[in-house]
Amino acid sequence: MPELIPTAFFFFAASLVLLAVPQGKARGALLLAVPLAAAWQVWSLPLGTFAQVEFFGFSLDLMRVDKLSRVFGLIFCLAAFLGNLYAWHVRDTVQQVAALLYAGSAIGAVFAGDLITLFFYWEGTAIASVFLIWARGTEGAYATGMRYLIIQIGSGVILLAGAILYHTETGSFAFEQMVLGSPATWLIFLSFGIKCAFPLLHNWLQDSYPAATVTGTVILSAFTTKLAVYALARGFAGTEILIYIGAVMTLFPIFFAEIENDLRRVLAYSLNNQLGFMVVGIGVGTEMALNGTASHAFAHILYKALLFMSVGAVLFRTGTSKASELGGLYRTMPLTTIFCLVGAASISAFPLFSGFVTKSLILDETAAEHYPVIWAVLVFASAGVLSHSGIKIPFFTFFAHDSGMRPKEAPTHMLLAMGLTAFLCVFIGVYPDPLYALLPYPVEFHPYTMSHVVGQLQLLCFALLAFGVLMRTGIHPPEIRAINLDTDWTYRRMAPSVIAIMAVGVSRIWTRWTRFGSSTITRMISGLYHSTGPEGRFAQTWPTGAMVLWIAILLGVTLILNFASHG
Amino acid sequence: MARKTSKRPAAKTAKKPAVTAAKKVAHKQTRDTGNLPALGRMMLWVDRPGSANKIFWGLAVLCGVLFLLDFTYEKHGHFDVEHLPGFFGIYGFVMFTGLILAAKTLRIFIKRPEDYYGDKAIDREVYPEDQLDKVKYNA
Repeated sequence: MPELIPTAFFFFAASLVLLAVPQGKARGALLLAVPLAAAWQVWSLPLGTFAQVEFFGFSLDLMRVDKLSRVFGLIFCLAAFLGNLYAWHVRDTVQQVAALLYAGSAIGAVFAGDLITLFFYWEGTAIASVFLIWARGTEGAYATGMRYLIIQIGSGVILLAGAILYHTETGSFAFEQMVLGSPATWLIFLSFGIKCAFPLLHNWLQDSYPAATVTGTVILSAFTTKLAVYALARGFAGTEILIYIGAVMTLFPIFFAEIENDLRRVLAYSLNNQLGFMVVGIGVGTEMALNGTASHAFAHILYKALLFMSVGAVLFRTGTSKASELGGLYRTMPLTTIFCLVGAASISAFPLFSGFVTKSLILDETAAEHYPVIWAVLVFASAGVLSHSGIKIPFFTFFAHDSGMRPKEAPTHMLLAMGLTAFLCVFIGVYPDPLYALLPYPVEFHPYTMSHVVGQLQLLCFALLAFGVLMRTGIHPPEIRAINLDTDWTYRRMAPSVIAIMAVGVSRIWTRWTRFGSSTITRMISGLYHSTGPEGRFAQTWPTGAMVLWIAILLGVTLILNFASHG
Repeated sequence: MARKTSKRPAAKTAKKPAVTAAKKVAHKQTRDTGNLPALGRMMLWVDRPGSANKIFWGLAVLCGVLFLLDFTYEKHGHFDVEHLPGFFGIYGFVMFTGLILAAKTLRIFIKRPEDYYGDKAIDREVYPEDQLDKVKYNA
């Protein structure tokens, strides 16, 4: 009865089996087979709740399969497959196991029907994924991984606190639609918000993703944040504040992405911006908007993985992913260039590419529900996506000035992974119906109307033209070796220096206080000794009987108290 | 650090047909194009003198066509502004330019040297060689 085994367990079992399989083709094949088997199971399961288990008197739902969880479960399996194919050359058991446990936890969380299960898998994704950062094996990666882990585990702890409060409030751990208002729901919301990289809670993302290994970043990019999007869609659909949070999310990262030099960090900012579109969709909360969020998450996982793969391939061959060092690589890496361009066109939502058929759902629904300002922000953010992911990534890596680097084309398995992902990006764009059929609600939407296509092409082509003008006039900011401050400054620079200043102050006060204390006590003791010690003045006049008298009085009082308390 | 000084003009040559620079690039290419992958050789067109110009003006013509197309069909947007001819084009052009200028301004305030968080931060580290496979195309 394979349908009784929760999908996540496929991955956990495989991570044990893996240890017995020798490195090489057999292990690579296992790493590819597991996500396929999992996808097959998700695909063939009927809708419903399976695998209920008792846990300390609570009933846990390990497999809640409905249309919302199914579409996320499927894309997670697909992402795990593509990520493992891309990582075919990796001979590091830690990374292989981490990738399996990470994907398994994310899939487990998606199918979790209650908050306890969700919490376990939520922390599972945090713990498994950090090894993809630490696997780089450098001091910087270790420190970054620590920061990442603290924030991710923190999110889980907040979720647990929220879940417990939620249980005392409602008497249930069921993970269903919630109404924001009580401390419980706010805590759960905050926990989701951290993983979803809400504004000001976002910087773990840009801090950690560029620190992971070449293949680790590809795998990281798929799961954590989209799990948070799923959780928000499940728990807080139609929560209005999400519209504004989402709009800010689409907006601010595009400015940072524009001036960032590390291309993998540019992609992390761009990922943040794409999450914004999904969060707006959740906030609008209508059936079509939620369809938009689910489909955009699906398409986004693919094209974002594709972009990370292409930049990763460049890093793999040249040792750098900095825009200031790269350029002109199309000569020797033409296939990677084309795949990168497909990813760029998809994320920029050019017609016939995946982003177009999914993002229009969200944009259209925002307009239909009459949020003119939000709509204008989203359209602006769409042009912003073009600027960093559509132009900057491919242009400064593969074209622009010739860096003189002549790296070999990416290895075959990477090309295969990129080719497959690129194919899916185009396929979804050209023929969106199969994806639409997977969505939680029936889709009545035609992306390819004259209005949509011409409007979108105008937006993108005029923006490209603006780029051309800015390049020709030299106004476009050059790529330079530098970093930019973001909120990580508060805990990488400000907090340590505040703590250092405070430590000096506290230690000074402490020294003075203890010195004052010890001298006072010494003085007191010697004073007492002086007056009441054997040589003291009081001792001279006290008769020995005084002691006996006092003891008698004490006993008497005890007797009376005892008598009174029992009387 | 010599790289840094050459950055700006170099980045510009790709789009701007500064004839001498482009010729130099073209000359260099004639020397090492022989073993390039066929697909890569085909794409060399983009670096030929004048190509950047052609791409730019081609794009401008395309924009013109898209603008004129707006008069040929009936729009059904949700807001009035969407019915203005070329609304999306103008909005895209203006906002894109604004974005670049704003980002450039932002850079003045938040730009820091690469070793700002110390030499052990990932921005300064060299990516571990044993995890890479740095091969030249003709190796």
